Amino acid sequence: MKEQIAKMKENSLKEIEKCIDEKQLNEVKVKYLGKKGELTVILRGMETLQPEERPIIGKLVNQVRDELETLLQKKENEFKRKELEKKLETENIDVTEPSKKIKLGTLHPITQIINEVEEIFLGMGYQIADGPEVEKAIYNFDKLNTPPDHPARDLQDTFYITENILLRSQTSPVQARVMETQKPPIKIICPGTVYRSDSVDATHSPVFHQIEGLVVDKNVAMTDLKGTLEMFAKKCLGENTKIRFRPHHFPFTEPSAEADVSCFVCGGKGCKVCKGEGWIELLGCGMVHPNVLKFCGISPEEYSGFAFGFGVERIAMAKFGIDDMRLLYENDARFLKQF
Amino acid sequence: MKASVEWLSEYSDIDVDAITLSNILTMTGSKVETVNQLGNDIKNVVVGKILEVKKHPDADKLVVTKVDVGTEKMQIVTGAPNIHVGDIVPIAKDGSDLPGGVKIKKSMFRGIESCGMMCSLGELNLDIANYPDQIENGIMILGEKHEKDIGKDIVEVLNLKEDIIDFEITSNRPDCLSIEGLGRETAVSLNKPFKNPRKNIDELKIEDKKDIEGLKVDITAPDLCYRYVARVVKNVKIGPSPEWMVRRLKACGVRSINNIVDITNYVMLEMGQPMHAFDINSIAGKHITVRRAKKGEKIVTLDEQERILDEENLVIADDEKAVAIAGVMGGLNSEIEENTQTVVFESAVFNGGSVRKTAKKVGLRTEASSRFEKGLSAENALRAANRAVELVMLLGAGEAVDGKIDVYPTKQEMKKIKLDVERINSLLGTNLTKKDMIDILEKLDIKVENDVVISPYFRMDLEFVADIAEEVCRFYGYDKLDFTLMKADTTLGIRNKEQKIQKKVRETLVNRGLSEIYTYGFVSEKDLDMSNISSEIKKYAITIQNPLSDEYKLMRPTTVPSMMQTLAINSNKKNQQVKFFDLSRSYRNMEKEVENGEVPLQEDILTIGMYGEDVDFYSLKGILENVLESINIRYYDIEKETKNTSYHPGRCANIKIGIDTIATLGEVHPEVLMNYNIKERAYLAEVNVTKLVKYSRTNKAYSEVPKFPAVERDIAVIVDEKVEVGQIEKIITKKSKKLLESIELFDIYRNEKLGQNKKSVAYSIIFRDKNKTLSDDDINTTMNVIVSELENKLGAELRK
Repeated sequence: MKEQIAKMKENSLKEIEKCIDEKQLNEVKVKYLGKKGELTVILRGMETLQPEERPIIGKLVNQVRDELETLLQKKENEFKRKELEKKLETENIDVTEPSKKIKLGTLHPITQIINEVEEIFLGMGYQIADGPEVEKAIYNFDKLNTPPDHPARDLQDTFYITENILLRSQTSPVQARVMETQKPPIKIICPGTVYRSDSVDATHSPVFHQIEGLVVDKNVAMTDLKGTLEMFAKKCLGENTKIRFRPHHFPFTEPSAEADVSCFVCGGKGCKVCKGEGWIELLGCGMVHPNVLKFCGISPEEYSGFAFGFGVERIAMAKFGIDDMRLLYENDARFLKQF
Repeated sequence: MKASVEWLSEYSDIDVDAITLSNILTMTGSKVETVNQLGNDIKNVVVGKILEVKKHPDADKLVVTKVDVGTEKMQIVTGAPNIHVGDIVPIAKDGSDLPGGVKIKKSMFRGIESCGMMCSLGELNLDIANYPDQIENGIMILGEKHEKDIGKDIVEVLNLKEDIIDFEITSNRPDCLSIEGLGRETAVSLNKPFKNPRKNIDELKIEDKKDIEGLKVDITAPDLCYRYVARVVKNVKIGPSPEWMVRRLKACGVRSINNIVDITNYVMLEMGQPMHAFDINSIAGKHITVRRAKKGEKIVTLDEQERILDEENLVIADDEKAVAIAGVMGGLNSEIEENTQTVVFESAVFNGGSVRKTAKKVGLRTEASSRFEKGLSAENALRAANRAVELVMLLGAGEAVDGKIDVYPTKQEMKKIKLDVERINSLLGTNLTKKDMIDILEKLDIKVENDVVISPYFRMDLEFVADIAEEVCRFYGYDKLDFTLMKADTTLGIRNKEQKIQKKVRETLVNRGLSEIYTYGFVSEKDLDMSNISSEIKKYAITIQNPLSDEYKLMRPTTVPSMMQTLAINSNKKNQQVKFFDLSRSYRNMEKEVENGEVPLQEDILTIGMYGEDVDFYSLKGILENVLESINIRYYDIEKETKNTSYHPGRCANIKIGIDTIATLGEVHPEVLMNYNIKERAYLAEVNVTKLVKYSRTNKAYSEVPKFPAVERDIAVIVDEKVEVGQIEKIITKKSKKLLESIELFDIYRNEKLGQNKKSVAYSIIFRDKNKTLSDDDINTTMNVIVSELENKLGAELRK
């Protein structure tokens, strides 16, 4: 009996090894392990054995069956894997063929700069404010310490609708409106469209964009203005950017300054963008003029503040290497898609 | 304001070069625009004497000369006709530089070596006006007095070196529109003592007189003329000014005219006080009145233009006529002539705003007016008049007449400001002592007495502690201020609802393949017409008083023309598949807000413009629905619009929430396309973002994921072509009540068999009851109600 089993095992193992596909494997499985399979038959004939032989033979048969099943399973897995491999081979694709993506649009470079600046100041706890573009002269000038006879009214060459209504020449009227309606602490930036009577050329446009900032609180110092703008410059233009303050004059700030940043193209060595100077004039700023606070209903004795403002187009042009401002408003699809 | 370093050095020792000086002054607030270093471009050009002139053997027009240049005698070949033996001339030696990057080297002329070149005025970049005895087309002949200079550098001999700095002076510092003011800034910036070369003028006492040589002065408008000083010189000899004066004027960009006129310009540049000189005999009645002009009063100014004035303008007048527009320009009728004997120097101070207005009105911005309009010191006026007389005597151009006429009705107020050390430190973020501050202020000639700052007459800009803080900071050094961040209460940096929505809308559109554009808010009437804008909307347009051009005359009441223009530009450039959006504003004067001094309606408008193969009405509609979805607006109606004249009457719709129209979309009207020369269909939408903000819900509520199964039923109905599928959907929605989960149109079918002007519309409807499993009966009942309603209301026929 034992020999018979051993022989059968040997044969079956050989047959399994010889199988070349799942179908043959299945036939072998049926031949030995099926209902009428050789091993099954042996198992069924157990009762004809001597009682003392039964457990020995039984154990042996089970062992062989386990062994066969394991081998069959292994072989089957092998065939399945081969089959899958074959299938996968036929499903090969050229991954470099064009995709089915939706062509994304682009945000205008001006929006991109505004977004970037907004994120930086939001992170520093500023709110974003806006106001009318067709604005009252009183907000554009008077409340900003620029009375009717002030030469600055001439300098800016403002578009007028009536004597009292104009196109804002700066986003500062938003600051005046916020100061009138909110109590300090005030921390805002005001991005927006502004208008000045400049003819269109490569560096001028009668319509352009500004971002101004305003902080009013107790004990705000000029050093805070410097620190804030340094932080802004580093985040917006690169961590190695340096900032430099030069005295200047604006009617709405005192002391006033112009801030230059080290050229973010050449790093300060001197190049075409910075005209060899290593510095780029970035913005105007200063401590809010006591008259401005007063005119907007805030006590200049109790509070102080700083303000700053810059042109978005200039930064966009420098940052993206755009050499003609007209491109920003011509809206040629071939230009816009580059951003 | 241009200034030569040479002139500035009269006020301060300057021991740095012009570039360094410019950098230092820029950092203390006198911003330098450019530095022009004249004479630096001439190198190795010396004075030489011609020893011999011989004909060139091989060229008729050339001569061969021998020249003594001090260190050697050299041979030079030249074609110049005006040279003779013994002439002293500028010689550019071998290896020399001339202006304009010209380099001179040894060379051969028809076989004869020439070791250098004799120079003309032009080659040295000199102006014939300054060397009137020279000729333009020939070698510069230096004259015998330069015999001693042979071999010396021409730049030194002719004193050609000049460093000219051009400053950008801010409007608060009219005192720096003078060499004196800039000289003071220079001295303090270099930490040198301010040398006051006008000390004698400051200490001069001149007797007041009612009239001088018969001249009298009255001011009838003391609000516009604060002070009028007149001084007189007689036996005047009009002639050229000395070289030093011409040179300084030239450095400041002023052309020399004659000694008297030059003196007025010189004093203005030196002291910042505009002067006017006129012939006493041209003043009728020898009586000057400073008065408001009469309406329509005419005057011909020095530039020979007639100007018409009104009561807003101030004139200097005699008993008959205006002789000058105060602060702007003198009249031709009182001009200094060759034979003028007695000259009146007028040094007056006018109200800045008035001068500004007048200059603007007559369209004449002069050196004088641009100074006056910034507000000048009345105290300076007398100094200037005295200085002018001093210069007349210095130049020997005439004799001073004793006394002055000084009408000074509006005294300049000297402002006093408390020196609040703590406040200044807290404003600057510094820790300076009182002594530090006083030291800086005193260097600037600003006196401090008992902790009170007294602004000097020339510093009318100092009014507040903040102004004092700036002075202190300028010379403490802006660059020495620390970089700090505020220590203050936390503030919230967060976008408000409107800003969040705008951001979201932009994102959605970019993801849908649209690119953002930026347009001007200006339009012309023609633009509005080209876009077929209705007169109802056109009347809201706001007119700009002083537009750049007719093209930019109106503030747009609608954004449509701006988008159409952009589409036209792109179509013209053959850009295909264009999809744009613009998030900007429209401006509407709804109810005469502008006339009433109020701000007009300005709404945020999203404008979409598209053309190209892959766009049609429905893709545009899809984009808009995505936009609404992205900002959580779910309930709205889309209704056909046939009356909007910018759009195709059969292909236009409004999106409404309740009765409020929030958007219009559609195909551009073919006429409009034609107007813009766009040769394919284009699509346009206007969305009122200001309204969207109102309707956008920010809160989203979770509703339970359904537990009971849904039932799907398809239905197809045949309706007249004119029935809108929206009508069908409304009925299905209404009649399904709460059971409706979704409804989807999956087919529209047209076929002759259906009948003329008929269409079959097929829907897949999904029903679900959230409380139970729906039975067939439930659904059938609902379906029957729906079908009969469709039959009754729309004449629909169930397609079987």
